[in-house]
Amino acid sequence: MEAKDYKSSLKPIWCPGCGDFGVVQGIYRALAAIGRPPHEIAFISGIGCSSRIPGYTTAYGFNSVHGRSLPIAQGVKLSNPELLVLCAGGDGDGFSIGGGHVPHAVRRNMDLTYIVMDNQVYGLTKGQLSPTSPRGLKTITSPYGSLEDPINPLLYVLAYGCGFVAQATPADMPGMAAVIEEAIRYPGFSFVNIQSPCVTYGEDEQQLTEHKKMMKPLKSLGHDQTDQLRAMDLARAYGKELYTGVFYKNPNPPPTYEAMVKLRQAEQAKGARPRERVLDMYLQK
Amino acid sequence: MGTTPLDISKLTLVQALDLAVLIEEEARDRYEELADQLSLHHTPEAAAFFKKMVGIEEKHRQALADRRKKAFGDQKRTVTRDLLFDVEAPDYDEARVFMSVHEALRASLRSEEKAHAFFADALGHVKDPEVRHLFEELKAEEAQHQTLVKAELAKLPAESKVNPLDYSDDPVGED
Repeated sequence: MEAKDYKSSLKPIWCPGCGDFGVVQGIYRALAAIGRPPHEIAFISGIGCSSRIPGYTTAYGFNSVHGRSLPIAQGVKLSNPELLVLCAGGDGDGFSIGGGHVPHAVRRNMDLTYIVMDNQVYGLTKGQLSPTSPRGLKTITSPYGSLEDPINPLLYVLAYGCGFVAQATPADMPGMAAVIEEAIRYPGFSFVNIQSPCVTYGEDEQQLTEHKKMMKPLKSLGHDQTDQLRAMDLARAYGKELYTGVFYKNPNPPPTYEAMVKLRQAEQAKGARPRERVLDMYLQK
Repeated sequence: MGTTPLDISKLTLVQALDLAVLIEEEARDRYEELADQLSLHHTPEAAAFFKKMVGIEEKHRQALADRRKKAFGDQKRTVTRDLLFDVEAPDYDEARVFMSVHEALRASLRSEEKAHAFFADALGHVKDPEVRHLFEELKAEEAQHQTLVKAELAKLPAESKVNPLDYSDDPVGED
């Protein structure tokens, strides 16, 4: 399979210069490297600019309900564990409207990859404050500047025990594609926060030209990706430093939820009543 | 393959030619994408320029493809587009709503500079003498393309001092 095999004929309508153009290219590359055919992939999203992304791939896609991509993706995975399940959306979709679903998806640990395109603003609805907007940001809903600190997506998922946590930027296409590939290959819930700038409402210092200057690949810092505490320490710099690469990868991934369900079903099947005797439970003898 | 970076030092001549073809193909397709984006977002002049670049990159691609065919016939291709990351293709963030033709030409110039830098860097790793010769030639071509783009820029009327964004409706969420 080649990257082009995952590109649909639908043309993206994102604003010219949007970071999401690079993200979808990175996803094509990662999927090509994995090699699963499009019909074995389900791509679920919520609502927002970035949530349009499943339509730009040839995988099965569901541009679902605002903030509900993770519950739907988990349902898809549980009903057909053989599928490669990707889930994507923006920072508002994931950490505001859908924020309550994230910890449960993390602790449930299904084998799916959650990609958040974090642009620190609600772009589709014309530039309101989002959960990852920096303190002081002026928007239509914070005309005098935000009084809140942003949510830290990296620390958030690490704190709930996520087995694979990474960050990337389309300013480093090879690095981003490699991180997405590694996340998909991780046997469990994996999270990739992609700093994907909004060209229309985003701040100048959040654009890709700035990313190119400020990004610090974790590999070049000699970070040990199996060190969870160090990963949390580095994640605290979210919003101040742009670390890219894998923050944490559990060297001993625990069994996934769907694997445990399968085991439970196998155990219970042993004591199950044969189909022809099911009605015996309700019949008086 | 996949997301693993390309090892330039091990390229054979046929692979290098295929790579050169794919670099032009990638640039052609990116210009097509940017032209589509800008047409959709009411920036027709820059879109027209990018559309013109589609034709130019296709011409370069075809010339290299013909050369490859002449030298190696139908020999199977072993390099893929997946090994490339925006060698001569303009970066996605080069496009902007209401960008002028001047800005579009400058984006194109940066892409030619990027391609030149790629071949210059590659020459530091290439061992095969035939591949070296090819890359020297391609590097020189990219330098020539830069000269052509600069000449086109010089032919344009003076750049307007007006920023179209000052005269368009502000995005609702901004001051």
